[in-house]
Amino acid sequence: MDYRQEPHGMFLMIDNKSFYASVESVERGLNPLKSVLIVMSEADNTGSGLVLAASPMAKKEFGISNVSRQYEVPHDSRILVVPPRMNLYIQKNLMINKIFRQFVADDDLFPYSIDESILDMTHSWRLFGKTPEEVARRIQVKVRHELGLYTTVGIGENPIQAKLALDLQAKHDDELIGRLTYDSFPEHIWPITNLEKVWSIGHRTAAHLKRLGIHSMDDLAHVNPYELRSEMGTIGAQLFALAWGIDRSQLHHIRPPKEKSWSNSQVLPRDYRVQAEIELVIREIGQQVTSRMRHHHQQAGCVSLYIGFARADTENDGRTGFDHSCRIAPTDNAQEIVVTLRHLFRKNWADQPVRNIGVGLSRLSDCRNLQLDLFQEPERQIKNDQFDRVIDGLRDKFGKTAVIPASSLMPGGTMLRRASLVGGHNGGNSFD
Amino acid sequence: MINCDQEASIIADRLDPLFTAQWHCQYRIDIVNNQYGSAFNFFLDIRHKDHRERSIPLHTVHATDLAVLERIVVALKKHTQLSLNFVNFGRVRWPESQRWVR
Repeated sequence: MDYRQEPHGMFLMIDNKSFYASVESVERGLNPLKSVLIVMSEADNTGSGLVLAASPMAKKEFGISNVSRQYEVPHDSRILVVPPRMNLYIQKNLMINKIFRQFVADDDLFPYSIDESILDMTHSWRLFGKTPEEVARRIQVKVRHELGLYTTVGIGENPIQAKLALDLQAKHDDELIGRLTYDSFPEHIWPITNLEKVWSIGHRTAAHLKRLGIHSMDDLAHVNPYELRSEMGTIGAQLFALAWGIDRSQLHHIRPPKEKSWSNSQVLPRDYRVQAEIELVIREIGQQVTSRMRHHHQQAGCVSLYIGFARADTENDGRTGFDHSCRIAPTDNAQEIVVTLRHLFRKNWADQPVRNIGVGLSRLSDCRNLQLDLFQEPERQIKNDQFDRVIDGLRDKFGKTAVIPASSLMPGGTMLRRASLVGGHNGGNSFD
Repeated sequence: MINCDQEASIIADRLDPLFTAQWHCQYRIDIVNNQYGSAFNFFLDIRHKDHRERSIPLHTVHATDLAVLERIVVALKKHTQLSLNFVNFGRVRWPESQRWVR
């Protein structure tokens, strides 16, 4: 492979080792690498409890993984269980990124997730060390010194190499640093036979590749790219590039999505069987999404509803749920959107117990003026519109629970209890 | 300016519903000197025989002055008799009482 035309930069992908668990360890004066600590969410919809993060020692000594259930965690007094504080983790993430900004320009820092960031150090790494490893070490030491957290660093000539170096090498390295280059890529990556370990290859893609006779990254690198593309589409071409460590993405050129949409979904705390309860939650989510959209002065021309059935029922009839959309005249009125959602639900639901509900709004357009409907009373329409805006104003000023529909107090309503959650888990504000 | 009595009362208010005084259960308040956050963190630690240990955050006081902490601890001791465990303080004395921090 001729790599001369490919981008040759210097990228660091930095991840925090067991981020949530490490933050909690530091807050308790414990060493993140030595403590046996798990962060367990006990929000209503996690059942008995869900492990959000386990410290490296908890993983090693007790085999606890990040998605273990409460009942899978042994009852051992050596394990320290703590509740999540999502807002604290967001704060720490901002502080870590602030440290990264001392090494790269703002435009060269790309936060990737709550505990991962990509640093394009192509232009600045020589200011901080003689080798990329030395620079990585320096960043690690600074984060450890200022925040007490351990970071893992993947180094590559492009973002994909940095990501794979992080996932496949750095996490198992004593220094917590891994490095891949175009030259070393075949030696380190091609022998991999468990394709699911490689970023961007999930369970189904791996199964698809296996059906095509591709059992290792070596096989993937030596497949006919045209055949792979005809079989898998653009993803096939991407996978072929991945096997050769090629990534031509220009992180600075942000491509806005072709069409934006707003959506919210939630896992219910139990199986919902009563129509009125399910419709109540649909209404709550519908109002929440519409309110988010209104804050951006937009209106939606398409409403979608996703309903996920309870696991027991999925096993019975094989369907996992349904997902339907409906085009409407553009509106930002919650009542109209909720009526459409209810219609979609009633049309498609056949008494199955429900566990997941999601609502999406798409085909967005700017909404600066109210478009009156010829067939409805104008005063009523203006009043409805003002009503929504007054509610938005009250919630912005006094919090999400300042005004709530009385129906949310009925059995099945989830809005009140979810109001203080961040990403579906305890925000931790009540501990500050 | 930190109001020590108010801080102690926040901790006490959060502590009360959590301290259910179960049999065979050890309760303890951990006070951590968090050098990285320039703050004192308070946690309720619950140990039940053959169960996982639980540590529940009670409050964070954003201060580094031991005199402030001493006043909060004195106020807290008036409310609860749970043992206090001081973490990461090293060998230092309380500024006022001159007793060892432990």
